[in-house]
Amino acid sequence: MTGDILPDSVFIHRSPETAASKGGPLRGLQIAIQPNISAAGWPTEAGSNALANFKSLEDATVIRRLRQAGASLCGSTRMSEFGFGLQGSQAGGALQDQAADAELVLDMMGESRLAAGRTGVCGFKPSWGLVSRYGLIGLIPSMECCGILSASFTDVREILKVIAGPDELDFSLPGEKPLDFSPQNIDPKNTTIGTINEAQDGLPAGQEEAFRASLDDLNKAGFAVREMSFPDFPLFSPVHQIVGSVEASSAAGRYDSVRYGPRAAGGKNWNEMYLLSRAIAFGPLVKSYLFQGAFFQFERYEAFEDACRIRARLLAGMHALTSHVEFLVFPAVEAAPSTTPASLPQTYAQFASTLFANVTGQPALYLPPGRSAGHSGIQLTGPRLSDARLLSLGEQLLHLGRGGK
Amino acid sequence: MDFEAVIGLEIHVELNCTTKMFCDCPNRYGDEPNINTCPVCLWFPGAMPRFSQQALEKASLVCLALGAELQPRSAFDQKVYYYPDLPKGFQLSQAHLPLSRGGGIYIVDENGQPKRARLHHVHMEEDVAKLVHEMEGRLPISLVDFNRAGTPLVEIVTEPDFRSPYEAMEFLKALRTQVRYTGCSECSMDNGTMRVDANISIRPRGTSQMNTKVEVKNMNSVRHVGDAIAYEITRQTAAVQAGETVILHTRLWDPDKKVTTPMRAKFEGPCVPDPSVPAIELSAEWIENMRSRLPEMPAARAERFVKQHGLTPEEARFLSSDLDVAGYFEALIREGIAPRTAMHWLTTQLVPALKERQLELGASPVTPARLAALLKMLSKDEINANAAREVLVHLFDSGETPEAIVTAKGFRQVSDTGALDALIEKVLAAQPTAVADVKKGQGKAMGFLVGQVMQASGGKANPKVIRELLAKKLAT
Repeated sequence: MTGDILPDSVFIHRSPETAASKGGPLRGLQIAIQPNISAAGWPTEAGSNALANFKSLEDATVIRRLRQAGASLCGSTRMSEFGFGLQGSQAGGALQDQAADAELVLDMMGESRLAAGRTGVCGFKPSWGLVSRYGLIGLIPSMECCGILSASFTDVREILKVIAGPDELDFSLPGEKPLDFSPQNIDPKNTTIGTINEAQDGLPAGQEEAFRASLDDLNKAGFAVREMSFPDFPLFSPVHQIVGSVEASSAAGRYDSVRYGPRAAGGKNWNEMYLLSRAIAFGPLVKSYLFQGAFFQFERYEAFEDACRIRARLLAGMHALTSHVEFLVFPAVEAAPSTTPASLPQTYAQFASTLFANVTGQPALYLPPGRSAGHSGIQLTGPRLSDARLLSLGEQLLHLGRGGK
Repeated sequence: MDFEAVIGLEIHVELNCTTKMFCDCPNRYGDEPNINTCPVCLWFPGAMPRFSQQALEKASLVCLALGAELQPRSAFDQKVYYYPDLPKGFQLSQAHLPLSRGGGIYIVDENGQPKRARLHHVHMEEDVAKLVHEMEGRLPISLVDFNRAGTPLVEIVTEPDFRSPYEAMEFLKALRTQVRYTGCSECSMDNGTMRVDANISIRPRGTSQMNTKVEVKNMNSVRHVGDAIAYEITRQTAAVQAGETVILHTRLWDPDKKVTTPMRAKFEGPCVPDPSVPAIELSAEWIENMRSRLPEMPAARAERFVKQHGLTPEEARFLSSDLDVAGYFEALIREGIAPRTAMHWLTTQLVPALKERQLELGASPVTPARLAALLKMLSKDEINANAAREVLVHLFDSGETPEAIVTAKGFRQVSDTGALDALIEKVLAAQPTAVADVKKGQGKAMGFLVGQVMQASGGKANPKVIRELLAKKLAT
C-alpha cells in the first residue's frame, strides 16, 4: 500500500490503488469504507481511542473480495465510535462529495439506512449471515452486517453479489444455498406490501403525511398495500438494547490495552492498568452502553434471558407477517446529519424504526424519495434471504419515482 | 458427631489436537513463547473464531469412552472474566448446552466393592494464556505466553459421588486409563495435560444433605489430590465441630506445607451464548461413526485376555490398564510368545528396565520383535534365564539382534553333553561329600552340584541338561 493519507473534512482520501487496473465485475468502481472494516495496512481505529494508531494486519473478507473483483478503495469516512449510532459519523459524505461510487457502512441498528437517508441515496442492509463478518470491527455480532450505500442500484447489487456468500474465515455464516442476485421482475398485480401500524406510532408531525403519500405512490404503481398490526413491535427496541449491550460488553472485553491501544500511566498493578486504560479508551456513549451490558449480564441476567426469548418471538412474529404479504414498508426517519444525540435513549429513539431488521436479521432497504415534493424516503423489508427480490422491488420503485414507465 | 465427606471432581483434559480450538495455530507444548499465535488467538479486532472439527472429534471420543451421552445440540458460551491470561475478556466454554451429559466409570472402593462414579456432564472449552511470573530483580514482572491460548480442552464434571480421598484417586486413575485409551490425550498431571479441581463438603454421616462446598485447586499429581482432599476433610470437620460455618470459596493446595490456603476469588458472572461460534448439531449417524472409532476399552480387553490367553482376571486387568503395555503384550503374542512368558517378561523385566532409564514403552529401543526373538532363544534352551536378562540389558544399548549379541558375548547355553561331561567329572572328583550326600538321597546336595557345574561352565551350561547328566552318573 502506498499513498498519503490526507485528512479531509469529510473523509480520509487515499490515492487510488494499483489494484484498480485489474479487470472484474467491479472494475473502476471507487469504494469508500469506514475504518472499522479491516484493510491491511490502513489505520483501523474504528472511531475509538481504544484502537488509536491501530493498523489492520489483514484484509476483511469483504475487502479481499472487492479488490479481487476490480474495485478500488478510495478512502475511509469518519465514523462514530465502533460504528454504534451516527454520532460523529460522516457516512455518506464520500458519496455527497462525489469522491466514491459506493460506501460500506456497518449496520448495527440502522446506521447504513439512516446515513443513506440523510445523503439521499440507497442504503441496503443485507440479511444477517449473507456477508462475511471476518475483519469487521463491530460491537453486536448477532445483529451487525456490512451495509452498502450508493446512488446506483446496479452498484449495490453488483457489490452485494461480490461480497456475499460462504467464507471459510467466518463459520457463523449459516451455509445456505447461494442466492441468485439477477434482477427479477416484481409484478405489482401479484404483490402485496404491508405496513405495521405500531411502527408509525410516535412519528413526528409531517412525517406521517409524507409516509401516507409514499403509500399512495405504491398504490398508484399498482401494489396492494395492506395495513397490519404487530403489537409486539415496540419490543424491538428494548430487546435490541438488552441483547446488543450484553454482546457489546463482551465484544469490547478485548480492548485491554495490552496488545494494542492506549495504555494509561499510573496503574499500580495490572488491574489498575486495565481500569485506567479502559477509562481513556471509550467515549461516553459507548461507555454507557458497555456499562448497561455488564449490568444486564451480571445483575439482571433474567432480563437478558427474557430478551433472548422475546427476540425469538419477534422473529416468529415478523416471519408470520411476511407469510401474508411479500414485503413490508416502513416510514424512514430523516435523520439530521447531527452530532447531537449523545445519550443512549436518544440514540435508540433515532433508530426506532430501523433496528427491527438487526434484531431479526432481515434485509432492509432505504429508498430515497422520488421527485415529487413532500414525499419522504421509505424503508422496505422482506423475509430473511429475500435480498435479491427486495433489491429488485427497490429498483423498480426508484425507477417509477424518477419518472420512468 | 460423625461426618462423611461429599466429593465431586472437575477434571480439565487437554486434547492432543494438531491445532488450537478456534484457529490453525499449532497446539504444541514447550515451544518458544508466543510463536504459535495469530490474530484469532491473540483476539485482534475483526478476527473470528473457527471451530476445529478435530477438537470436536477428539472431545466426542473422550465423552464416549466415559460412557457419556453426546448431545444432539451443544453450543459455546462466553465465560466473562478479565485477567491477563485471557486476551479477549471471555473464555469460550459450553456452560448452558454441554457436549455430553451423564456417563460414568466403575471404580473399586476401599472395601473391594465395585462402585459406579457418575459424570454430570463433559463440555469443551479453550485454554487461556500462560502467565510466567519473574520475581527476581528489582521489579518483579509477569510475562504472558499466548502459545497456550485457545488450545482445546474438555472439562469432565462428576456428580458428588466420592466419599473418600481413596475413591477420588481411584477414579482419576480409571479416568486416565479410559482417556489415554482413546489416544486423545496424554492425561498427565505432571505436565498439566490433566488438571483436577476438587469440590469438598462434609455432612453428618447417613444424611443426604448437601452442604456448602469448598473448591481446592493446584494439585500436581493424583497423590496430591488425595492428600488435599484428606486435609480439607479434616479442616472442615474441625471447623464445624468448633461451631464455625463453612463459606463457599476456593483454596490452593500447597504441596510443600501440605495444607490448603484460601485464594482470592475470581470475578465470574453468568455465561452468555457466543454469537460467533455456530451451535454444534450432531446427527445420530455421526455419533455412531465416532463410536465405531472408539478402540476396545480396558474392561473389554481384560475380559478378552482372560478368555483368549488364559490369564487370571488380576493379570488381565493389570496388563490392559495401560494402552501401551496391553499393545506390547499383544504384539509379543503375535510374535509367537506364550502368554504367560510374555506377561512375565513384560511386567517384571522390561517395564522396570524402562522406568530405570526414564523411557516410555512406546519409545522403547527394545521393540516387541527384538524381545520376542530373545524369548524364543530362551524357550528353545539356546540361552538360560540369567543370560536372557543380561542380553536384555545389551538390547537397550546396542542395535544388534539378540542372536548377534548372544553369539558375540558368548551367552549361548552349553547343552552339548560331551562338553559338559568333562566339567561334571571334574566337579564330582572335587566334591566327594556332596556326591555321598546325593547317594544318601539328599536333594539339597544335588542342587549344590548343579550349581558347581554351572559355575565351572561360566554360567553358560543348560541347567536341565546338567541335572539329567548328573542324575544318570550318580544313579550308577
